[in-house]
Amino acid sequence: MFKRFFRSTAFLVIALLLAPLSPVNAANTATKYPLVISSGGYSTTIAKKPTRIISLSPSATESLFEIGAGKQVLAVDSLSNFPKSAPITQLSAFEPNVEAIAALKPDLVVLSVDAMKSLVVKEALEKLKISVLMEKAPENLAQAYKGIEVLGAVTDRTSAAKNVTFKMAALIKSILNRAKVSGKVTFFHELDNTLYSVTSDTFIGKVYKDFGLINIADKAAGADSYGYPQLSAEYVLKADPDIIFLADAEYGESPATVKARAGWSGITAVTKKNVFALPNDIPSRWGPRLVDFYRTVATSLAKVKK
Amino acid sequence: MKKNQIDRVWRWQITASAAAALLIACLLGVGFGPVDLNFGSIIRTLLGLPNGLENEDRTLLLELRLPRVVLGALVGAALATSGAVYQSVFRNPLADPYLLGVASGAGLGATIAITNGGGDLHAFLPIFAFVGGVLAVAATFLVAGRLFADPSTLLLAGIAVGSFATAFQTYLQQRNSAALRPVYSWILGELTVANWDVVKWAGFYIFIALFVLIRISKVLDALMLSDEEAYSLGVSPQKIRMIAVAAATLATATAVSASGLIGFVGIVVPHLVRGLTKRATNRSLLSIAFVGAAFLVIADLGARTLLSPAELPIGVITAFVGAPFFLFVLRARNRGSQ
Amino acid sequence: MINVENLIVRFDSAEVLQSVNLDIPEGTWSCLVGPNGAGKTTLLRTLLGMQPYSGSIKYNGREIAKNKSLNIAFVPQRPSIPAAMSVAEYVMLGRAKLDGWGKESAHSRNIVHEMLEATQLLGMQSQLVNTLSGGEMQRVLIARALVQEPEVMLLDEPTSALDLHHQISVLNKVEEIKATGVTIISTMHDITLGAMYAERIIIMQSGRVLLDGESQSVIHSPELRSAFDDRISVHLLENGRPVIIAAKRELTL
Repeated sequence: MFKRFFRSTAFLVIALLLAPLSPVNAANTATKYPLVISSGGYSTTIAKKPTRIISLSPSATESLFEIGAGKQVLAVDSLSNFPKSAPITQLSAFEPNVEAIAALKPDLVVLSVDAMKSLVVKEALEKLKISVLMEKAPENLAQAYKGIEVLGAVTDRTSAAKNVTFKMAALIKSILNRAKVSGKVTFFHELDNTLYSVTSDTFIGKVYKDFGLINIADKAAGADSYGYPQLSAEYVLKADPDIIFLADAEYGESPATVKARAGWSGITAVTKKNVFALPNDIPSRWGPRLVDFYRTVATSLAKVKK
Repeated sequence: MKKNQIDRVWRWQITASAAAALLIACLLGVGFGPVDLNFGSIIRTLLGLPNGLENEDRTLLLELRLPRVVLGALVGAALATSGAVYQSVFRNPLADPYLLGVASGAGLGATIAITNGGGDLHAFLPIFAFVGGVLAVAATFLVAGRLFADPSTLLLAGIAVGSFATAFQTYLQQRNSAALRPVYSWILGELTVANWDVVKWAGFYIFIALFVLIRISKVLDALMLSDEEAYSLGVSPQKIRMIAVAAATLATATAVSASGLIGFVGIVVPHLVRGLTKRATNRSLLSIAFVGAAFLVIADLGARTLLSPAELPIGVITAFVGAPFFLFVLRARNRGSQ
Repeated sequence: MINVENLIVRFDSAEVLQSVNLDIPEGTWSCLVGPNGAGKTTLLRTLLGMQPYSGSIKYNGREIAKNKSLNIAFVPQRPSIPAAMSVAEYVMLGRAKLDGWGKESAHSRNIVHEMLEATQLLGMQSQLVNTLSGGEMQRVLIARALVQEPEVMLLDEPTSALDLHHQISVLNKVEEIKATGVTIISTMHDITLGAMYAERIIIMQSGRVLLDGESQSVIHSPELRSAFDDRISVHLLENGRPVIIAAKRELTL
């Protein structure tokens, strides 16, 4: 065990040391403006280096600050609670108020494709000569890294962005190496107490899959076309997961409340005390804190009692 | 002058006041918002005079605020007038424009668009909602049996069709969880980011519908009487009911597909106008249209400024005003009948 | 003069009025009597022109369908009571026949004033119709019919919901109206009252007219008794006035 630890740490240190020598840094990575870039399925033109960015996506906010573009960020939406130094406002990420956004006179707005009438908002902002970068939730790690790199290109922090993604990949790889699961271990990821879950088609589902865990919600995939089926208590009882991850801890759920549910006290995860509350926000941020999600899962797995 | 002289039933001054109220509301609507614009410049820009707003400010006023105010006025007029007409046709002071299943049908249409639409669904959603609303009303008439069915049968059929549409919509939402948020937002009603395209097509249909309704507004008074009395005065009550319901449905379906479900306007405004003027005649329809427009423009002003920079769904504001108003109406009715 | 010839009215496949023939002179009061379901209200509605029919109904020689200028007022049995409408507003609606809808000339307002006065409703002109008693509402219906200045007035059970006092005052009012030349046709449950006021009585049963003629002779006819399955008896008061009451048949032993 000690040997494994040593080996993966060594790998990590070497990777971090080598990062500055990666091929990306060899070329001149300064962004040339005007920049035409494709993001979220749409093309955006950015006239010059943006210094008054409004981020309406908590994940983008985290990425922007992580790649060192925090000084270029003017305001972030009401849900962007990380990092603490981000200039948080009451702007809504999901129901953007075009006039309120325009009132702050930004030169770039990062907008989620899932926001209400996002396209109409985009058009309206562009009419007011404000560039809009559309952001789509990534479906896998590669897309998550790409998203961060796009932000890097846009803010002229290309090499910093590359560093960040490189580091993330290395860290995730080392976490996975250390925490590989042996044998068939099943889990249930609980989104809320009405038992909505995620299948392996979703981003979160893929993270668990990377660990080799088996998702009990996969068999219920037909129930929802987006990968978020609602399971019944009977189904969960029958599937008898070895581990339960609670993504609804901020809504009052905990290992104690789960145990108190009728019939749940007999589930393996409950009897073996393998019910873990995930920290708030972590499962829904696909910026640099993705690593934290992997780490949290790994830590939980380490605590799993057989 | 004779003692106990009979009052006029309607005066043109009332209609003029309502129109003035709408004008004031529109001025307030374009004058305020999260971005502070000089009021004088706004007026000059609107009148095409020199020294108006420039560049982005001008774009903000003409491409963002103005279409939103205009759409709010159109939708408010449509809903208020339809509500008043339904109250006359169904002889029920609590009737609202969503009675015959328009709302549920439009909601179902919108949900189908959201759960199946590709990228540019904001272009398709209004069409789906409109078709859904109109089909629901058609289904209501089919279910009721005869096209000229009596009001209470129509009402029940509307409830049945509406329930069915809502159930189907809920099923679709269950199977497409990502659609929950957009559908819910749509249901709460929103004039957010109206643009001139929406104003054009919504305005077209709403104008036609309102034109018909206001033309027949005087004759609609015949529906206050029994069918025989109406007939004796030269009016075929069934025919008038049909035309009125058809036009009111067109107005409501258009309003709903442009801006989602905005509640209470259709009930509150007719009662407000009738209560203030102490008249039950349908000659008030034009005034009701003006006041409905003004009401929604002001409500939308609240929606985009009260919690700025967040947007309050406009349905929340109309409910806040509407719910206590309902109680007031009920109390007044109880007192009246004692 | 109203001429009804071979009038047949069908609801779905049932013949509700079967081959009715009537001649009603101008300025008279005719009363339709008969058991429930006889077709009295249907005949009244058909005379208004509301009901599709086969046969012919002529007012002064012209078929009603072609006679758009006919001014016939109808006083329904059950009024539709609009919420929040004042008496004056309701009565004013009657002027739509002569003035068109939505107009209220000074002349119209005078007529409304006159008719409200005639029906003792002037003091209540601003009162809401949904606060009125049955008798008051009946007077409102009549006032509304009057402002129309009709040639013919059709009344469906004008007294069935009223107390004795109001029954008489309403019928007296109708008599006054008749005196101005208006032709009156009414349906009535109470044959005694009908006989007191109407010159002509028309007996109906199961969609047919059994007899139609002067009240005094029709009252004593065997057709009247058979229309009600012999469950009525006709008596004469000392002053010669007939009283028709329900009578149980004596059991013959």
